[in-house]
Amino acid sequence: MRKIIGLILLIIIAVGLGLALVRIPFGTSKSRLGEYYIREGRKETGATNIVTSVVVNYRGFDTLGEVTILFTAALGVGAVLSIGRKRKNNIKHQPASLILRTGCRFLFPLILLVGAYIFIHGHLTPGGGFQGGAVVASAFLLIYLGCREIRISEKGTKAVESLAGLVFVAVGLVGLAVSGYFLFNFLPKGISGRLFSAGVIPVIYIAIGFKVGSELAGIIDALVEETE
Amino acid sequence: MSFLHNYIYYFGAFGLIFIGLYIILVKRNLIKIIIGLSILETGVNLFLVSIGYISSGTAPIFSRPEVEAARMVDPVPQALVLTAIVIGVAVLALALSLTIRVYRHFGTLNLRKIKEQRW
Amino acid sequence: MVNPILLIAVPLGLAFALPLFGLLSKKLVKYIPVLALLFNLVVSLILLPRVLERPIQVFIGGFSPPFCINLVAGPVGIIFAALISLVGLLVSVYSIDYIREGPREKYHVLYLLLLTGATGVVLTGDIFNLFVFFEILCISSYALVAYPGDKPAIESAIKYLIQGAVGSSLALIGVGLLYGLFGTLNMADIAGRITSVKPISVFVPLALMITGFGVEAAIFPLNSWLPDAHSSAPSSISAILSGIAIEVGLYAVVRVTFTVFGASSIFMFLTFLGILTLLIGEMCAFSQTNIKRMLAYSSIGQIGLILFALTIATPYGVTGGLFQLISHTLAKALLFLSAGYMIYRAGSMDISTFKGMGKKMPLTSLAFTIGAFSLVGLPPFAGFPGKFLIVRAALAEETTLFTVLIGLALLGTVIEGAYFFRVVQIIYFKEGTAGRRKEAPLAALIPIFILMTLIIVIGIYPGLVTTLLNSAASELLNRFGYIRSVLG
Repeated sequence: MRKIIGLILLIIIAVGLGLALVRIPFGTSKSRLGEYYIREGRKETGATNIVTSVVVNYRGFDTLGEVTILFTAALGVGAVLSIGRKRKNNIKHQPASLILRTGCRFLFPLILLVGAYIFIHGHLTPGGGFQGGAVVASAFLLIYLGCREIRISEKGTKAVESLAGLVFVAVGLVGLAVSGYFLFNFLPKGISGRLFSAGVIPVIYIAIGFKVGSELAGIIDALVEETE
Repeated sequence: MSFLHNYIYYFGAFGLIFIGLYIILVKRNLIKIIIGLSILETGVNLFLVSIGYISSGTAPIFSRPEVEAARMVDPVPQALVLTAIVIGVAVLALALSLTIRVYRHFGTLNLRKIKEQRW
Repeated sequence: MVNPILLIAVPLGLAFALPLFGLLSKKLVKYIPVLALLFNLVVSLILLPRVLERPIQVFIGGFSPPFCINLVAGPVGIIFAALISLVGLLVSVYSIDYIREGPREKYHVLYLLLLTGATGVVLTGDIFNLFVFFEILCISSYALVAYPGDKPAIESAIKYLIQGAVGSSLALIGVGLLYGLFGTLNMADIAGRITSVKPISVFVPLALMITGFGVEAAIFPLNSWLPDAHSSAPSSISAILSGIAIEVGLYAVVRVTFTVFGASSIFMFLTFLGILTLLIGEMCAFSQTNIKRMLAYSSIGQIGLILFALTIATPYGVTGGLFQLISHTLAKALLFLSAGYMIYRAGSMDISTFKGMGKKMPLTSLAFTIGAFSLVGLPPFAGFPGKFLIVRAALAEETTLFTVLIGLALLGTVIEGAYFFRVVQIIYFKEGTAGRRKEAPLAALIPIFILMTLIIVIGIYPGLVTTLLNSAASELLNRFGYIRSVLG
């Protein structure tokens, strides 16, 4: 019975969406916004990766909101999982085999390096803060899976998270103080294509990289603690 | 034929959206519902990205000076999807942590049986 | 002249910094939301006289719209921001003593983030930005509903989360369709171009967005999460959810319908939906024995009434709807805050255990009574001018349809009066178990007292508020004024 109602509802939505989509041609024209950003992006922001200039500069406020959402989720996961949990320390893990442990320890800094490379070069190559941060968090996940006794300090992740978030808001406020516009790109734009270019964009992306990495690592930590 | 070729991405995205909605409406196991939510969000993100596509276009990155600006795809939907993916991850993390607590309290993941409150 | 962006940037910065303060001193943490919201209240009151004549436009990043995200600090936005920061401030003072167990630091950060998200929703002028801040509001409310950690809280939170997340995804599909159709994300820009496509293509994004934002606004039939969520959350959070979160959800629906789409044909449908929500909410509230569930269903009813008033779409109607919104926020917050300590004292949420509460907690019971009377619409409390304005707006239409609808609305008010008087009777006129007289702590009494005073003052001098609301109403009804002020 419920399945039939569900199917009818979905068919109604499908017909509606189909009607709406007839008017949106696929793969043909570009929007005004797209044209403008591609044309002016390099000049106005200094970044060669136009998606980065849209994410950090033109629509930087959305990115601030997104960073806040991840922060909220990390706090929420921490709050939900910490209630009523008895602190169980000194659990004897069966140690993983020597090959696994050595392999994980070997790979950990390499994966961190790849992640850092991605978020530092966000304005030049595909990628950026979120992608790099996710790679960094996966390095921590590897450590949790491979060498099970190691834990990251919760205070450390909280501190890095908060500081990185503050850096983002502070950059915006400095822009406000300097020019009257929040998140204004006030550092020199340099020569596009170089690492130290695009003004404030690499600074913000590095802060985001640290924030996302520590947040996702914190979420993984909270979930792993649950399984103890 | 060219109609299908052009709209295949839209159909794919909507297929995912409908599968996701169907799972959420019909299934009873909480983990399956959360998977359905994830599929729904993936479908929405796919839909958003395919709006910006230009036929035989390339990424909007000026990696080499001679990349033609006219053949670049629209960067705005890509920025939107970046944000939407992160939002989806956040909701998923919260949902899974709540599911862990639900299992601890109720001992079951069947949504019908998780009914502590009267209407 | 203060930049309205500070209304969002400063609380956000303090929210990020809060865990760092927590590392220094655990006791300091509870006062930071108070400071942040005090700042917001002062700034929004400073900005209020200026924006009544002309909205302040803030271009973020230094580019010009539609190539940047803009904030539109108009009368509607700043009045909502002032209301959010006022109620948020009072409830944060209440939370200083009320929240004793659990991960308190995380509660305070999530609380501040919820209010920051709400402020962002009402100030933004960009539709994707609206979605992002709306998500901040929703996700922090999912986490805060789960805060008590007991069975009902977790169950309500997961059900709320699933419904909310599906709603948000539908709204996002709507945003995507709008971008595909118009190539821009700026609300004023979309509003200007809305007539360039056939109505059927525009109907689908509108329906998706009303549904998506309507989950948070608790419009029938999308409100099944509300009674569970508002009754299992801690009372301070119930006050914020009933008083701010659903109102901000309704703002999103109204902003999208009135300003972006200008869809006058859909107003009639929303009017019916409003009356339906009102009647269902009040009837369900009547049969409740749990006080917080009763208050939650009453919130559903009131949102229905506000939706009905706003979609009459005349200056009388919109002013009446906004007035009712403000009076509902103040009264519902007062009700939940006083009920919070009465529940603590009585040991249960069942109304029958509140016998004799009038003697045991006289000030708190008086506050509850004033809140109840204001919600029902008795003079001299704030609810009376609100309901009066709505009745006048409906009768000014001079059609039998609206007369019937307002009659149904008044029927809803009668039912409301019945169940609230029942509670007041139990509090004052039934003999309860013996107990000494012990009031709620000072940190709770200060906000309760301030809310009581505001309700009485606004009830006696409604003109103070209606002058502000007239500008707000004209902003909502005058689409072209909005488009002109953003795009020039």
